[in-house]
Amino acid sequence: MENNDTAKKEIVVGVAGQPNVGKSTLFNVLTGRRVHVANWPGVTVEKHEGIREYMGYRLRFIDLPGIYGFSATTIEEKIARRFILEEKPDVLLVLVDSINPERTMYLAIQALEMYTRVIIVFTKIDETHARGIHINYEALNRRLGVPVVAVSSATGQGINELLDKIVEVASSGGRRKPLRIDYGELEPFILSVEQVLEKNDSKIKYPIRWVSIRLLEGDRELEEYVRRMLGEKVLIDILKTREEIRRIFHRSPEELFAQKRFEYIEKLLRGVVVRVHVGITRRERITRYFYHPWLGPFLSIFTLIIVFLVAFSINTGFPLNVILADLGYPGLAEAVENYSLGGLIEAGFNALSNYLYSIMGESIISSLVINGIIGGVGAVAVFLPLIMMVAFFLAVLEDSGLSPRIAVSLHNWLTRIGVSGHAVFPMLLGFGCNVPAVMSTRAVPDPRERIRLIMTIPFIPCQARLVVILAFASALSGLSGALLILYGYVAAFIAFSLVNRSLYWIDKKRGRVSEPELLLELPPIHKPIPRVVWWHVWDSTKHFLKKAGTIIFLLSILIWFLTSYTPSLTYTGDPSQTIGAYLARLFAPFLYPIGLRGDQAWIIAFALIIGFVAKESVISALTITTGADTARDALRLLKLTDVQIASITVFMILYVPCMATLAVMLSETRSWKIVLASIGIMLSIAYVGMLFTYMIGLLL
Amino acid sequence: MQKPLLTLDTLPPGSNAKIVSISGSGGWVYRLYQMGLTPGTIVTVIVNYGAGPLVVRVRGVDISLGRGIARRIIVEPL
Ligand SMILES: Nc1nc2c(ncn2[C@@H]2O[C@H](COP(=O)(O)OP(=O)(O)OP(=O)(O)O)[C@@H](O)[C@H]2O)c(=O)[nH]1
Repeated sequence: MENNDTAKKEIVVGVAGQPNVGKSTLFNVLTGRRVHVANWPGVTVEKHEGIREYMGYRLRFIDLPGIYGFSATTIEEKIARRFILEEKPDVLLVLVDSINPERTMYLAIQALEMYTRVIIVFTKIDETHARGIHINYEALNRRLGVPVVAVSSATGQGINELLDKIVEVASSGGRRKPLRIDYGELEPFILSVEQVLEKNDSKIKYPIRWVSIRLLEGDRELEEYVRRMLGEKVLIDILKTREEIRRIFHRSPEELFAQKRFEYIEKLLRGVVVRVHVGITRRERITRYFYHPWLGPFLSIFTLIIVFLVAFSINTGFPLNVILADLGYPGLAEAVENYSLGGLIEAGFNALSNYLYSIMGESIISSLVINGIIGGVGAVAVFLPLIMMVAFFLAVLEDSGLSPRIAVSLHNWLTRIGVSGHAVFPMLLGFGCNVPAVMSTRAVPDPRERIRLIMTIPFIPCQARLVVILAFASALSGLSGALLILYGYVAAFIAFSLVNRSLYWIDKKRGRVSEPELLLELPPIHKPIPRVVWWHVWDSTKHFLKKAGTIIFLLSILIWFLTSYTPSLTYTGDPSQTIGAYLARLFAPFLYPIGLRGDQAWIIAFALIIGFVAKESVISALTITTGADTARDALRLLKLTDVQIASITVFMILYVPCMATLAVMLSETRSWKIVLASIGIMLSIAYVGMLFTYMIGLLL
Repeated sequence: MQKPLLTLDTLPPGSNAKIVSISGSGGWVYRLYQMGLTPGTIVTVIVNYGAGPLVVRVRGVDISLGRGIARRIIVEPL
């Protein structure tokens, strides 16, 4: 580390907020997206850290997970709370959504009860006027005794003031004591617990009043802590007080405390937040249709289909090219295809290959570079625009607030396969990449439903598989290609539903489930913020480029090696004598039932084995082994029938997405049993699907 | 005379009600409290088609509730 840097005073800033308050956006604005991602110790929840230099200080921002409260009932709440209490950040920012301060203030109040160096940050203030919301930040600042700053990540308003306040609070300290809320008739009980704890004051390192309140609300982690520090007897005394509350008021203590806190917030915001009624906006009115029992699902599915069709056509010309060809404009259709983004990139790579051939000639090296690397990576890179486009649409759905509406509209249908509307967001993400999709199942409240989802999300065709589907479809003529894509998605949908239903049924048999339930916040619908959308797109692009540059690059070299060398390690121009061929022939018999023989069988088997690691490489494996430029040519060289191509496509979609997904399934479930069971299910379903497709195909 | 108590899922769209209590226990109930659905709170039903999830407005936020959860929320219509 440079001297200069270490000499700078560092300020650690924790950033906390309820889900949807605009935390990720503000965090990115504050840190300029120079973010370091790691995991919180011992868990797989991501920890984002970013640095910003300001006025000679080095501000280290730590993004805490989005949570509703500090009750330690979820991993995320535990992480956030532990960070604040143990690491004692110099400043804690607690975000409050200025569009609904009444609700989001709940977390801020709890933070103030346990910590003193707090800044309350009101987000999204660019939206308040349109909604007729007026907030007197000065008054709130006076009432709470901590700085209150209003910012907008969309316009950048208030950001500098926030940075100033951070420096100020870090050097001067915050409130002298944590906030004290008057809990009215509950006060005597708090006092009695406080007295018990105060006798042992030196041993408890957290604010006593806060610990007392939390213990009365019921807090496993703190109970454990008290037992450890003060012994079982003290804990039992405290729990007795808690039971007394329940007996006297006939209501659960946690309910009473939550109610008191909200009452406090109501009083606190009286005269501070003024709402002028503006009626519902037109945008809001339109989204109401999403809640209609049958119009809603229709709208949702229609939206999603449009998204995919638009993304496809811009990239690959598909399905526009097919439609034009069928209408009798073959020339136009071809132009659409050639001048699609994918077509242009493909032309670029071909030109590069030809140029290299002309200067390098035939040699092992040129074979490695041109066939192996450019052939492998290029065949995949063609799909970059598609990746960006799908990421763009997913980001728009997410950032506009449309995706939770889609979740509500599809909830009823989804309950039939045993999942709730909470599954929609992971499923949507799954179309992009299964890895974040599996991680996002954390937001699903029911733990059994979550496991079932983790096991079935891999059936959702991610972009990598989409890339392969499109490549295979391109080998079929016009309309059949389009039908194949449709068929592939339908097969995936059926597998997803069927397996979910069965797993649900098994869970139910074992008495482990209740009906899938929905409890979801619906943030106001709004125009997506371009910058935020761009971030999402850039993240996917980066992820894809990194993958193409590392895994796919290395795999391409490996594939080239496996298909250029014989088992005795001599170079050969005949792929059927190579190591890859020998290996793949062991598995080739599995493909006999769909009529593949000889070269056909081992090359496809080889491609599928490689596809286990990363799906895009199925294409690389095909092009490298056959020496073709594109998957289309490779499949033509192999002389596969349309029905065989369709069968292989189905298998390819349904069997294990990739290593990375398996790894994240393991880290999320921490169970080999679940992962191995999933692999077993996927392989069998894929195989049955393949045979089924072949038989249907022969009948038609 | 006090009005009769109903469950939230039976209220028509546009109606207001005060939450009296929430039956049952476990994570759902806790989550409801944290989202601001505590006894004494006024809720406005925005969407209720008699089947499928409801949408209610609580403390300025729209929240969608499955029917099973709504059935556990006892309210006093206003
Ligand atoms: N108008 C406006 N909208 C904003 C602003 N900041 C964030 N939003 C929107 O608020 C929504 C939530 O923003 P996020 O940053 O994803 O919120 P978060 O708190 O990280 O939420 P989770 O990702 O669910 O944890 C998004 O739809 C954003 O577009 C802002 O400054 N102005």
